[in-house]
Amino acid sequence: MKGYRHSLFVALFLLLLPLGMKSGSLATELVIYAMAACACNLLLGYTGLMSFGQGIFFGVGSYAAGLLLLHLGSSLAFTLAGCMAAGACVAALVGWFSIRQRGIYFVMLTLAFAQMFYFMAYSMKEITGGDNGLLGIQRPDVTLLGHEVLDTSDPWAYYAVAACVFLVVFTLLQRLAESRFGHTLLAIRDNEARAAAVGYDVKAFKLLAFVVSGAVTGLAGGLHAMLAGIAPLSNIEYHVSEMILLITVVGGTGSFLASVIGAAVYVVTADWLASFWPRWLMLFGFLLIAVALYVRQGLWGVLQDVSARLQAWRTARAAPSSAPERHPGRQA
Amino acid sequence: MSEQILLRARAVIKKYGSFTAVAGVDLDVRAGSVHSVIGPNGAGKTTLFHVLTGVVPITGGTVHVDGQDISRLPGHQRVRRGLARSFQVTSLFQNLSVRENLRVAAQGRAPWDVLRMWPLPGRADDAVGVVDGLLARFRLEQVMDRPAGLLSHGQQRRLEVAMAMAARPRLIFLDEPTSGMGVDDIQEMKQLILELRQEGYAVLLVEHNMDIVMGVSDVITVMQSGRVLVEGRPDTIRNDARVREAYLGSMLTGGR
Repeated sequence: MKGYRHSLFVALFLLLLPLGMKSGSLATELVIYAMAACACNLLLGYTGLMSFGQGIFFGVGSYAAGLLLLHLGSSLAFTLAGCMAAGACVAALVGWFSIRQRGIYFVMLTLAFAQMFYFMAYSMKEITGGDNGLLGIQRPDVTLLGHEVLDTSDPWAYYAVAACVFLVVFTLLQRLAESRFGHTLLAIRDNEARAAAVGYDVKAFKLLAFVVSGAVTGLAGGLHAMLAGIAPLSNIEYHVSEMILLITVVGGTGSFLASVIGAAVYVVTADWLASFWPRWLMLFGFLLIAVALYVRQGLWGVLQDVSARLQAWRTARAAPSSAPERHPGRQA
Repeated sequence: MSEQILLRARAVIKKYGSFTAVAGVDLDVRAGSVHSVIGPNGAGKTTLFHVLTGVVPITGGTVHVDGQDISRLPGHQRVRRGLARSFQVTSLFQNLSVRENLRVAAQGRAPWDVLRMWPLPGRADDAVGVVDGLLARFRLEQVMDRPAGLLSHGQQRRLEVAMAMAARPRLIFLDEPTSGMGVDDIQEMKQLILELRQEGYAVLLVEHNMDIVMGVSDVITVMQSGRVLVEGRPDTIRNDARVREAYLGSMLTGGR
């Protein structure tokens, strides 16, 4: 099964990642963005919805984690569940209104919501900390039945937690995409009118996809707050939506693995370029234009193309030796 | 053909702004019958189809299926009442395989079953059984794993009709099923509609090909300018002076 192979690949990638990254924080950031991009891909690639509202769910997840940890001192598992619930609820609200429109109007609505939530977070200083965000968030340790299992204060230990969470989420998303539910979403993406005509409540299915996407993005946001130790206002900014979409589109929309590749390329390139070229984001602008113009399937599409050509080249190289054998009599 | 009326539409009106596309149409479709709606372009046939299947909301009038009012029911819920439709312009899930197109359509009877996450799409159950039957019947077995978008036009038209049947409806709306088909395929489609009637399906047919309409219909409704001009059996329609005048004559006498 395709899904399990991809999960296995991701597991291997997460295991080997520490060898190639200079810090645990950077590796964790990669994992978090990959998770957010996968959630975005569920909407963009599988349901055909381009949502500029992903930053809302990411920010709400961060705030949820910050509030739960600062005020309740909740456990890690409870915090993560809280982030997902917060992301899912807000996604249900945003989705409920946005999916009433299609195409460009849907995009505009999600954009409007992104701005609205940003200003809400900015103005509700008592809850969100306004411009400063929520500061001094302590990472909870991994506990089992009240016993400490893992101290997460070390960046690599926290990476291990994030990587495990991501692997589970990735596998479940993959599973979802391959299930009948996932195929219904694909059908809706391909042809909404027909999907309705054969009996599916298109809006309800889109809303469900939205809620799942919101939950996963909220989880990513929560993990990010615990990584940074703060839930900043910038986590709910429109730029986060943009970045998540950018990673998703550049990676490619054909598969969740594409989103992981997109996040890896983004984080590694950003880290490397930012050290000597302050305008590094421009490069991603160009990359986005190139993808939109030439490779609609993103980097994932390029990889598939290369592997297909490699395959063709191999068979072509093998062919001359086998071709004469096919008609041995004719040569004689 | 039984006398039981499956679909009863009364005074159906559909307005787009100030334009009235359907201006008060009565229609009775009997269970197990083939009922054709014909008329010149712009007569309102396709709009009537859209209103009956719930693609567009009704402006006035009522639609009953089996005595139950479905006038305000969203289109997707009418599938569970036994209605299904094909589209005039082929409307498939282009990137899904032929088999999945049919499976998704068959599942439309119980759409929320898809939320049971564990079974994969290939799992054997009712829907899959229906799909196997349809693949054989519409000669699509050879191409069942191919994405629907890569099929030939004739194959796509066959899949189009097969998808309407996948939900096991009692009344199938066929919107110009032979549009763009070659001669051989048209004969096949005519045969298929006759078979559907034999198997007890009711068919509501919009079609321009008079050979098919005259050959398969039990009842023909002729529409003009959003109204019913006349309704009757094929031979009555063929000889009706008003119909000849309005539209049919030129086509029947080959003077088109």
